[in-house]
Amino acid sequence: MTKFKWFQLISILVLLGVLVYVVVIEDVLVKESLDSVSKYCLQIEATYAQMGGIKNSEIVRLTDNLEYSWLKNEERLCFLVNHKSIQEIGVEISRLRSYLEKDDDKEFCASLNLVQLYAEQYNHFMGASIHNVL
Amino acid sequence: MLTIVIRAIVIYIVILFLYRLMGKRQLGEMQPFELVLTLIIADLATIPMAEISVPVLHGIVPLLTLVVMHFIITLLSRWSTKFSNFVSGKPVIVIDPNGVDYKAIKNLNLSLDDIMESLRGEGYFKLEQVEYAIMETNGKISVLPKSNFAPVTNGDLKIKVQEGGVPINIVSEGKIIAENLKLAQLSRKDVDMMLDRAKIKRLKDCLVLAIDLSGEAYIQGYGEKYQTFKFKPLDGVKL
Repeated sequence: MTKFKWFQLISILVLLGVLVYVVVIEDVLVKESLDSVSKYCLQIEATYAQMGGIKNSEIVRLTDNLEYSWLKNEERLCFLVNHKSIQEIGVEISRLRSYLEKDDDKEFCASLNLVQLYAEQYNHFMGASIHNVL
Repeated sequence: MLTIVIRAIVIYIVILFLYRLMGKRQLGEMQPFELVLTLIIADLATIPMAEISVPVLHGIVPLLTLVVMHFIITLLSRWSTKFSNFVSGKPVIVIDPNGVDYKAIKNLNLSLDDIMESLRGEGYFKLEQVEYAIMETNGKISVLPKSNFAPVTNGDLKIKVQEGGVPINIVSEGKIIAENLKLAQLSRKDVDMMLDRAKIKRLKDCLVLAIDLSGEAYIQGYGEKYQTFKFKPLDGVKL
């Protein structure tokens, strides 16, 4: 084998490795990020049902955690997915914070449901599935 | 704007690397699957360059996938003739000693005019000049002319000619190509001698100086007519 053939073979193997790595990382990262959003939303929902309102420190803490976790994951996701496709979750989480400050239970719950819906939908169109392939 | 500039540079480097990886054949005579690849690469590269919200990886990952696919197809084509025929097709004889094979031309989705055009491109303006014409897999036509119309060669005339080999470019645009000078086993003094012989005063006035294995030198100064002369045979030089 000539030097170029070796270079070609090694490069192709490296490229194959890079492709596998990127595909796996994307899948894991998307799943992790969206699962974390869903988990926080469910916790907020459960706490809201338990406390009967949003004006309490536990919901504030969980909303903070949700925002922090999403910002951290969004930064990483931007390397792999279209920014425009994931910005709605960030916008809706910011609204949650604003409704929390205004003590607007109704809007807060509506926003929370939206965040959950987005998390579920994103899992559909960002994950690898036969629907997405076709 | 800086983002676009950086992205364009990154994608340019990636594509350059990928084309080098695919080999030189990609740049010349392309097989059908190579043409497809070239068209897709051109299109894919522009997406992340123009759209900032799309990550660069969205452009690079499909490029890498296509190159890996190309490599696998090339490898399989080398291993299996059947696969190669499936992917690239087979050369087809469109003109044989009986004349034009119209059925073959129709199967290739070509017209007789297309064949005539290709033949003219090869220097054959009459069908009766052609013994065989073969449509190659890369879309080019290869022609075997009838003996009466084939160009006369030195072999036909039994003339013995010393092989000149590939000429070596010693000077290009006023600069000595050191690598070629070493290859031709010549010295700077030899170059000066050739320049003197061509009445070119300075090296930087020389547009081109090439010499073949038989010692035939071709030299031309800027704005002057070229000259050829016998210098000395390049004995022992291996190209």
